Amino acid sequence: MTAASAALAAETGPEPRYRLVRDSGLVAGRYLRVLRMNPGRLIYPLVQPIVLLVLFTSVFGNLTVSGHHGSGAYREFLIPGIIIQNAVLTAPIAGLALLRDAGSGLADRFRSLPMSRPAVLIGRLAYDGILFAIQAVLLIATAFGLGFSVRTGPAGVVAIALIAVVFGASVSVASAWLALTIGDIETAERVMYFPAIALNFVSSAFAPVPYLAAWMQPIARVNPVTSAADLVRSLASGGAAARPAVMLGCWVIALAAVPGVLAVRRWQASA
Amino acid sequence: MAQSKTTAPPVAVDAVDVAKNFGAVTALGGVNLTVPAGTLTALLGPNGAGKTTLVRIIATLCRADRGRVAVFGFDVAEAPAQVRARIGLTGQYVGLDDALTGRDNLVLIGRLAGLAHRRARSRAADLAELLGVADALGRSVRTYSGGMRRRLDLAASLMTNPPLIVLDEPTTGLDPASRQQLWEALAGLRAGGTTMLLTTQYLEEADRFADAVHVLSHGVIIASGTPSELKGLVAGRVLEIRLDRPDQADAAVAVLASEAALAAQAEPGSGRLTMPTDDGADTLLSAAAALRASGITIADLGLRQPSLDEAFLALTGPATGAAQEATAPAIGARP
Repeated sequence: MTAASAALAAETGPEPRYRLVRDSGLVAGRYLRVLRMNPGRLIYPLVQPIVLLVLFTSVFGNLTVSGHHGSGAYREFLIPGIIIQNAVLTAPIAGLALLRDAGSGLADRFRSLPMSRPAVLIGRLAYDGILFAIQAVLLIATAFGLGFSVRTGPAGVVAIALIAVVFGASVSVASAWLALTIGDIETAERVMYFPAIALNFVSSAFAPVPYLAAWMQPIARVNPVTSAADLVRSLASGGAAARPAVMLGCWVIALAAVPGVLAVRRWQASA
Repeated sequence: MAQSKTTAPPVAVDAVDVAKNFGAVTALGGVNLTVPAGTLTALLGPNGAGKTTLVRIIATLCRADRGRVAVFGFDVAEAPAQVRARIGLTGQYVGLDDALTGRDNLVLIGRLAGLAHRRARSRAADLAELLGVADALGRSVRTYSGGMRRRLDLAASLMTNPPLIVLDEPTTGLDPASRQQLWEALAGLRAGGTTMLLTTQYLEEADRFADAVHVLSHGVIIASGTPSELKGLVAGRVLEIRLDRPDQADAAVAVLASEAALAAQAEPGSGRLTMPTDDGADTLLSAAAALRASGITIADLGLRQPSLDEAFLALTGPATGAAQEATAPAIGARP
């Protein structure tokens, strides 16, 4: 190459406008390839939730709880809660994976490429969305085997799976920001699951809000886990879905927007 | 995209007064650096001298607190995308996904850099051939040796055939054979006209391959020039004496000081003494006579050109890499 051609860009790619979509797809493809070469990585995110669903339902499912929508069986109340709390417990995987990448030589490689910056996060979320979808299908199928029923028909079943995917992805965004803010992988591995567990317990995931301790109730009412679990319950029982749906929609948008932008900034700055 | 400029700027990197602090630590204290297009420029310095920080600023990974850096005329702070499209970075830590195959890594990085899928695949195959990792392309990078990783990493930075390659300690931690292979690859690239900026702690590498060497110490460039110009900063030649018995080294240093007025330095444990000299043969004779008179047997002795090592040590001072205050020594050789 002569000095004259040195001024030209190297072989250039598509216009920046398409780059976000294209690069996000490439990043998601990277994780899928890694998964194909290491299928063992699926065991934790897929087997554990099913085991937990079976255990929880078998131990507590025959209790009777009054004062919530649906029939009197706790099983009908618990299963939607388990589906949603599982998405919350899976979400930290995304944050930890991004943090692990952020400290590696690969992150410097990505930062030095003329690629789309948010693609690193969005590609990871697309991959997590696929994981959440597989998880939701397996969980719902297992739940049917445990006596769960959906009165709104196949459309309701699809809607429940979608809620698990979208809600899970939005919590993943928050986990990405949290992990990158913590910055240290050892610390993050210990810290990340704590807010996830707290979020699950201070909600209607396991018990109707009026059954919770008084100090928990105001938090539980605005907790997105409550909105998501209640929305799944409404879809299962055919009850009113508008209120939890609006609440959940607001939460999903807020979680995707604010921690999302902050996480992309963190990614770039953690060099 | 910014397309053709008919007359290209002949300068690949132009850095003016670049400064960077990390908290109270001064990483760079006002560095000026010019890398002419088509050359191989080495940044030489001990650990903590600021080499990596400078390279990261040039590669848009980190922002300078002060100063200006242009890569082929594009400002790294104002037009990072234009800069990224023109550089290939081989960082200090290999930028590969261990869980993927060599081919998947190259194709992913090539495509993220803007290549079409087919082009990325053929380019990956060509570069793997060039760098001697073609047989391992289908294997997971986890199974690669250190040298293979480094070469695959270099291949990754070359996917778009960028006009400037920035390498941060590319041969650190490699065995001599792997270093040799990597250097052959870099020599081939330079022959093809690619501009290269690299950091190294290996003086001998800078000596053999670099067109220009900049010595960095405590965040400032303390000397610049061709390898032979830098060696010229150490006065005259070097007298080297190897003793029969290494345990006599301290005694020999004392004898040389008292009887021949020579400031010899003993290499610990080896029985090898070196001393700078301006008048070559006379020094040799008087040193030999002094040692003989005290009954110290010489195994071998001779005069030679100073190594870049000696120039480097003379420039950076003996306590390299240690936690010193960021006050830079003045330019020039210590006596």
